[in-house]
Amino acid sequence: MSPVQSVDAAARGARYVGQRVARSEDARMVTGHGTYVDDVVVPGVLHAAFVRSGVASGIITNLDVQAALDTPGVVAVLSGADLNKAVVEAWLDYEGPAAAATPRPFRVLAEGDVRFAGEAIALVVADSRYAAEDGAEAVVVDIETRPAVVSIADALEPGSPVVHPERADNIAGRIDPPEDPALDAIFAGAAHVITETFVQHRYACVPMETRGIVAGWDPYRNQLSVHVSTQGPHGVRTQLARIMGLGDHQVRVVMPDVGGGFGQKMFLLPEEIAVPLAARIVGRPVKWIEDRRENLIAGQHAREDTVTVSFAVDADGVILGARADFSENVGSFPAGGSSSIRFSSLVFPGPYRIPRYRATARAVYTNTNGRCSYRGPWMVETVAREQMMDRVAAELGIDALEIRRRNVIRGTDLPYTTAAGLVYDQVTVDATLDQAADIAGYDAFRAIQAARRAEGRLVGIGVSLFTEPSGIAQGTLSTEAATVRIGFNGLVEVVTSSASHGQSLETTIAQVVADELGVDIADISVTQGDTASTPYGPGTGGSRSAVLSSGAAREAARSMREKLVRIAAHRLEAAEEDLEVLDGRVSVAGTPSAGIGFAELARLAYTVPDALPAGEEPGLQTHARYRPSSPFTWSNACHICTCEVDPVTGKVTLDRYVVSEDCGVMINPNVVEGQIAGGVVQGIGGVLYEHMAYDRDGNPLATTFVDYLLPTTTEVPTIEYGHVETPAPTNAGGHKGLGEGGAIGSPPAIINAVNDALSGLGVRITVQPLTPEAVADAIAAATGAGQSQAQQSDEEG
Amino acid sequence: MKPAAFTYHAPASVDEALDVLAELGDDAKVLAGGQSLVPMLSMRLAVFAHLVDIGRVAGLSTLDVGGRHVTVGATTVDSRIERDAELSGAVPLLTRVTPYIGHLAIRNRGTLGGSIAHADPAGEYPAVAVALDAEIRLRSARAERRVGASDFFTGLWSTVMEPDEILVDVTFPRWDGRCGFAVREHARRHGDFAIAGAVAGVSLGEGDRVERAAVGMFGVSSTPVRVRQLDAEVIGRPARECDPEQIGALAASGIHDVVSDMSGSASYRRRVGAAMVSRAWAAALEEAISA
Repeated sequence: MSPVQSVDAAARGARYVGQRVARSEDARMVTGHGTYVDDVVVPGVLHAAFVRSGVASGIITNLDVQAALDTPGVVAVLSGADLNKAVVEAWLDYEGPAAAATPRPFRVLAEGDVRFAGEAIALVVADSRYAAEDGAEAVVVDIETRPAVVSIADALEPGSPVVHPERADNIAGRIDPPEDPALDAIFAGAAHVITETFVQHRYACVPMETRGIVAGWDPYRNQLSVHVSTQGPHGVRTQLARIMGLGDHQVRVVMPDVGGGFGQKMFLLPEEIAVPLAARIVGRPVKWIEDRRENLIAGQHAREDTVTVSFAVDADGVILGARADFSENVGSFPAGGSSSIRFSSLVFPGPYRIPRYRATARAVYTNTNGRCSYRGPWMVETVAREQMMDRVAAELGIDALEIRRRNVIRGTDLPYTTAAGLVYDQVTVDATLDQAADIAGYDAFRAIQAARRAEGRLVGIGVSLFTEPSGIAQGTLSTEAATVRIGFNGLVEVVTSSASHGQSLETTIAQVVADELGVDIADISVTQGDTASTPYGPGTGGSRSAVLSSGAAREAARSMREKLVRIAAHRLEAAEEDLEVLDGRVSVAGTPSAGIGFAELARLAYTVPDALPAGEEPGLQTHARYRPSSPFTWSNACHICTCEVDPVTGKVTLDRYVVSEDCGVMINPNVVEGQIAGGVVQGIGGVLYEHMAYDRDGNPLATTFVDYLLPTTTEVPTIEYGHVETPAPTNAGGHKGLGEGGAIGSPPAIINAVNDALSGLGVRITVQPLTPEAVADAIAAATGAGQSQAQQSDEEG
Repeated sequence: MKPAAFTYHAPASVDEALDVLAELGDDAKVLAGGQSLVPMLSMRLAVFAHLVDIGRVAGLSTLDVGGRHVTVGATTVDSRIERDAELSGAVPLLTRVTPYIGHLAIRNRGTLGGSIAHADPAGEYPAVAVALDAEIRLRSARAERRVGASDFFTGLWSTVMEPDEILVDVTFPRWDGRCGFAVREHARRHGDFAIAGAVAGVSLGEGDRVERAAVGMFGVSSTPVRVRQLDAEVIGRPARECDPEQIGALAASGIHDVVSDMSGSASYRRRVGAAMVSRAWAAALEEAISA
């Protein structure tokens, strides 16, 4: 059992919230009976395959589709010339139409030129996916290759080719505030000024279920019907309606079970726009299920940042001021909202008292696949800052845990306004730091480490501490909604605007409503994912569900409870305050026999309106649209891991992994720990295995799972959890989101552990990924081992 | 990821399969467990007009453990090799390398014959075959022949097999007396293709002197490598006098075409290959000494 430090767990008196309730999704999902988009059967459906660019940049000199059209089974071949002009309004940022003079570049299919390897050039529609791929192979595309811009350095190089010819340069965004003389003075007077550059490589999101869409146009109803693997059906509807010049009511989007998204499915990408356009043109439903190769090269990428950090520090290791400079590669056609420089620079001060801070940043376009908002899109700030803390600790000869203790924001500092202007009302970074160190046995490990080193073994421990801006509630993400209704049988249906792509909302929303309404959880069902039956909401993203979706459900349930009590009080001729709701029955407190069950209340509400109190709306349906009291609900966590490094192969083996987190009042600890575990595993993968590499010409090098290495159960240690539970002040349930934290905190914990293992050799690696070869080469360079052999093999070419 | 159209043949006997191959020549490819071929077909990296599935051929999925030899039929699946108790006593290296091959689901389909015929330089079974001087039996409609493992592999994914030949079985020698065997492999993750690996066998005679030694390396060169220069170094010497690090360095120095690719440079592979040999040798020796 995980240790829990809770301020008032007992006082809550909740029946379901806080319990390890088994997931109601499990029955279908763990037995392989979920319904994913590829399981959707639509009569008369055709299948699509895309023809993609094999080069990063070039002019299309010839596109001949005749042989494809002659291929058996092929129904249509559509090019950029066919589909791009079908776009009525490219309203592709969720904020609305672009205000900028040069809006974010977008097109459905390449036309005239290609701007990354993998960009879709044509769409082949056929009576089977086999025939569609035969047709795609038969399309003739000639491309005159142009030099490609691949890296951040390429994009910034004076005279470099411009990725988007309609733009003046490759700058996608920039942050350049005025100089800060007060900060300069702090640096000038500091005992130590330490500067380091940290490089984070490119990842892919890799949802288990790739993207997929089935779309059909009904010319008699003038309605588009879509099944899509997404993070929010309402966003898909809004975008497709704009793109196709339809009213929202003419587009119905159904989100079936979804096998993960991690940000990749937050916004529609070109292929998911091409398919509905094609369906309308060919007059039959069209299905496209992305294959793994497509998902890796065109399903949008993440990370790839370089950050240079300078800290001004006093003689005791107390941070006096900080500078950070962020550079970010957003690829060619980034998805909406995917540039993270603004958020990264805002969140950078994190869990520490940093009195003064200035950030500069730039985002650049390159001839690579576009960037999307992968789990904790801004997380490079934590990756850089937490490595920097260790760097400073090493320079000053202070232990990595101790330097954090000297700088961490403590409970007595709250509310605390960071140097970037963010306000922490309720964070417990100091408590999670202590709890994680305690679980990990930090001090005892140092003794073990000394003994291992004496045997020539390389073991290390790494710490990472961060705050997480969860429950993001601004712009189109401001609200979620829920409807609660009770049917004739007295059972409860919750209809929620959001929809789970793996967050267990069917279980957690039911827990919240069961407590609020006083019913058995088995009597509640949760409906989600269909724009025809659910209220508008932006969906899952921004670690919002625990705060916003449960908040909406709680309010709607509270209204329902009040309504039930009013009707029962009238019927029983009792005072409302004398009534209690328990197990689906409203009764006089202390006299359970004097009561009315939900089924009878439903019968009265729907069929005997005269039995209701004056002015009471008939029926049993309530609704709430919810907005928390702050745009951010801050959660926080500390990760500590230990590792051993093989001195010859450079292979890193993680031994222990500890997470202490404060996500406020936990709805379901199993779900909380599942969310943490998923994120941690993505961080392990990112640092040690996954690398979405390109060669110098912009060719993707990891196009299958043979080269894009995901961690498996054999690479992941048991994750140990500790919980600090302090209620959030932003919402009635006191919940804080934590969906992204696992992926934010894990990379620097692992990097710091590896560097700690190597610290005796004087080695510090600041460039990811930490492949065995990179680690081995760093060790060899430090120890002189392998040098002669290296020279020998260089001669072999 | 859908293969181009092909004609599927499912012969019931070796003779029938050989007739189909004789007729179709280069247009046909033999399909065994499909763990390498099918993904290549699905990604259209390989296209064949005809596939000849030998999975239903009677008599090919054999496992005969004899007194002096073990013969493994071409379509005997990896997971059977992994679990066969008699085999683990007769040719321990075969049993011990098997868990390194992919994952359980792959080993339930993958076959020893397929692995050897596919000749991936990172393959575990080819390395065992080379290290132990296994004998590979090939048949065509024309003739039958037996090829020693060290003559079988000619380069990356290439062997002496003709398009009309089928690999029928592979015969491995049993070692008697005080023997030890070990496998060491470095891969990015468990089950991945080896960046460098080594299999080692050693048998000891009077006074713990090395009587027989067999070391194979995989993943480092375009073919599996039998480290023959080791024999002069260790045969007849007291086992404790053989320095594992020196043996590793010797083994690595004999390879002149070290692979260099995204998962490891030549320099790195050479260093790791040497370490795998020295670690496998040391472990095999420990086992032999305590036998």
